[in-house]
Amino acid sequence: MFHLAGLSRLSIASLAIGYAEPVGFSRWEIVLFLVLALASLSAFFARFSKVLVRIFESKKDPDFRLSPIARRVWDFVWEVMCQAKVIKERPLPGLAHAFVFWGFCAFALVTLNHFATGVGFPFLRSRTWVGGFYFWFAAAFAVLTAVSIAALFVRRLFVRPIWLGQKVSYESLFIAFLILALMVTYLGAFYVGASPGTIKALWWAHTLALLIFLPLIPHTKHLHLVLSPVTVFLKREGFSRIPPLAGDEDFGMVTGRDLTQIAALQAYSCVECGRCTEHCPAANTGKVLNPKEVILGLRGYLNELGPKSEEPLIGKHESLEALFQCTTCGSCEYQCPVGIQHLPMIIGMRRGAVNTGVWEDDYGTKLFLALEKNGNALGLSSSERDKFIAKQQFPIFDGTQEYCLWLGCMGGYDPQGREIIASFARVMEYLGTTYGVMKKEKCTGDPARRLGNDLVFQTLVEENLRNFEQNKVKRIVSICPHCVRTMAEDWKEYGVAPEIEHHSEFMARHQSRLPNKDTGETIVYHDPCYLGRYRGVYDQPRQVLALSGTVIDPPRARERSFCCGAGGGLAFLGEEQGERVSHNRAKELVETGAQVVGVACPFCNTMFRDALGATSEAPPKLLDIAQITALQLPQKVAARADG
Amino acid sequence: MKIIVAIKQVPSRDANVKVNAAGKWIEEQDLNYEINEPDAYALEEALQLKEKHGGEVVALCAGPDRVSQTIREALAKGADRAIHIEADDLNALDTLGVAKMLAAAVKAENADLILTGLQSDDLGLGQTGVVMAELLGIPHGTIIMQVEKSDGGIRVKRELEDGWFQHVEMPLPALLTIQSGISKLRYATLMGIKKAKTKEVKRIAASELGGLAEKAVSLDKVYMPHKQKQTQMIGGSPAEAAKTLVEKLKFEVRVI
Repeated sequence: MFHLAGLSRLSIASLAIGYAEPVGFSRWEIVLFLVLALASLSAFFARFSKVLVRIFESKKDPDFRLSPIARRVWDFVWEVMCQAKVIKERPLPGLAHAFVFWGFCAFALVTLNHFATGVGFPFLRSRTWVGGFYFWFAAAFAVLTAVSIAALFVRRLFVRPIWLGQKVSYESLFIAFLILALMVTYLGAFYVGASPGTIKALWWAHTLALLIFLPLIPHTKHLHLVLSPVTVFLKREGFSRIPPLAGDEDFGMVTGRDLTQIAALQAYSCVECGRCTEHCPAANTGKVLNPKEVILGLRGYLNELGPKSEEPLIGKHESLEALFQCTTCGSCEYQCPVGIQHLPMIIGMRRGAVNTGVWEDDYGTKLFLALEKNGNALGLSSSERDKFIAKQQFPIFDGTQEYCLWLGCMGGYDPQGREIIASFARVMEYLGTTYGVMKKEKCTGDPARRLGNDLVFQTLVEENLRNFEQNKVKRIVSICPHCVRTMAEDWKEYGVAPEIEHHSEFMARHQSRLPNKDTGETIVYHDPCYLGRYRGVYDQPRQVLALSGTVIDPPRARERSFCCGAGGGLAFLGEEQGERVSHNRAKELVETGAQVVGVACPFCNTMFRDALGATSEAPPKLLDIAQITALQLPQKVAARADG
Repeated sequence: MKIIVAIKQVPSRDANVKVNAAGKWIEEQDLNYEINEPDAYALEEALQLKEKHGGEVVALCAGPDRVSQTIREALAKGADRAIHIEADDLNALDTLGVAKMLAAAVKAENADLILTGLQSDDLGLGQTGVVMAELLGIPHGTIIMQVEKSDGGIRVKRELEDGWFQHVEMPLPALLTIQSGISKLRYATLMGIKKAKTKEVKRIAASELGGLAEKAVSLDKVYMPHKQKQTQMIGGSPAEAAKTLVEKLKFEVRVI
């Protein structure tokens, strides 16, 4: 009893320097507050409802499913509540943003109480335990938020990273100022010497800042405050997943009618942070493409024409040229902190253009005709592949072997790719794994898929699936991440493909039985987009390389790896505009000083073959992980004829 | 302009061709077929003319059921409709027989222009188009590289030998055989294939077109070209050997 009384005296003493509540609102003040609040809320809803209507009027996502719900809840907790992605990919601004976000969350209760005070029914009182604690708790966040928003203000106004855009957004600066004002007016009420008049003035200043902020949300990038938690939660399943076409009238994204609700929601969620642009190989090498503008273009289209419009998407709001500069490396989609899935949109619009014949490109046409006629992207006669198989004396798969060794277009037709296949075959022989190659093979359809040619893609997939079924193929190993991804994911809508893995996964699994002799060389490993971001395979190739030398990473590695420029069918589309993507990456690899560039994709290999020579006087050796491993094998196994 | 394009389906380029047991033709099982390449350019030319001047493109193809794939492709690329002459075995006919059938099928169409490839990749006779023109009683031009519309007719560019070209003014209706590789082919689109399903394909039985005529020409024997390699050692002094070599190159091998 005695103790408690002492404690309560102490608390009251400390609460005396707590949050000072405004008192004595006149009737006129209450009326004024109600009118202003009503005006602000009406303005907010008037603008916000327009956005909602456009989203709900868009086409329903035909294949959308809410399950697996656990993954969605986890993404929400991790990416929204914890702000993990925001912090991880840009630590300082990310942390500043996280404090502002958490500050907003902490302030939700304070704000409700703030308004309740205005009409005379405050529910948080600083003299109570809960209230006293909460006001202090919110004050701590207010300080963090104020410091953070001030830092972000400085970054936007003075540091000006180019990813935020050419022009300084004064609107964003004004909103940053409002947030700062909200915090300062709240903290001011903790000042001990403040008179009741000052306290009330602070209350009004705080209220006005809030009421001005509210209607600004729906038509600025601050719409993400409201939408992005939903967007993150509703993200479509899978990375860079291309949805199946629904029905005979669906050719991909052609007009506003093809924009789905999730696409519209994502377009409105863009916070214009430019992380996608920052990591985009096209935007970094002087191309027209800027993934942020692709998303804002769709938003612009929806604002101007709406989701019922028959006007083509490509035109005023989207550039055909830009869309076909995408290497589909997936950096944008990986980086996006608000859950925008860029690739289904970029490839969706490519599909629209190719499936209706709008895209006319000499190289593209040549590629499609080669795939139609020869069944391989290089446009060579399939007898060339037969000759290679005969020369290498590869066994033909007959159902008795453990693995089907998939050659792919590069492994079957490209001289460098053939060397990789020959090396990997030696590794399999050394391990005593039986394998066979297909008598006939067609391209998995990867370049057609990424360029948006559904007709060629579907034809190739169906022929391959038939071929696998006839030959009873169960397990496949491939040297090409593009083949692996396409078979494992993109074929799903046409049937059940055999199990497929990349040779890095195979070799890593058998690493204890592979020779382990350090050559003393430093190997810089380049993560292929389709193995890393697309398949999440980062460690296996590094483990395999570590058997032969010291593995180092270039500055942009793993999830942040920079594309070689070949993906998305671009390897076949001729000369690039601006700097070559492959040169940009090759320079970075050379600058690491490594003696060997280790790659795990025949397309990266072919891009760097030229790029390393062009960017360096004494270029490092360029080898696939299979070639590096094969070099360690005893001579007897290595005796197979060269590719 | 109403244009008819006569197209043929031939074994695909990289097919592994085997001579059949009778030695009269090739084994047709397991073969993949595709549009005859010069015919693909004839179709492309027709589509481009239609895009420039309007009108209609009709694909004409004779052969068994499997040619419907080639017809569908032509429709997918933009032909408006097609005529399929159902003939189970084109090899039972000679060029005149095939040309008679094709001519009979298009006579009633009264087309302004008939295009076809200059020859087929399988037989390579290069006569069908010309004979057809003769049967229809219209003028023809062969090995055409360019077609332009002019007042009252067309102006065409023919390929002659040795890098020479000939420009000819022709009246319409006419028949042209188109050289391979003269333009860029277009790719088939999903939309095209879907539309092709709704386009008209008129089927005519070969028997309705006068049936199978007596063959004037028959194919005697089909065989793989023999690869021959002979080595001769030329003896004597270098001067004598050189003299013998020159003589042999001049009179035996006839390359200098």
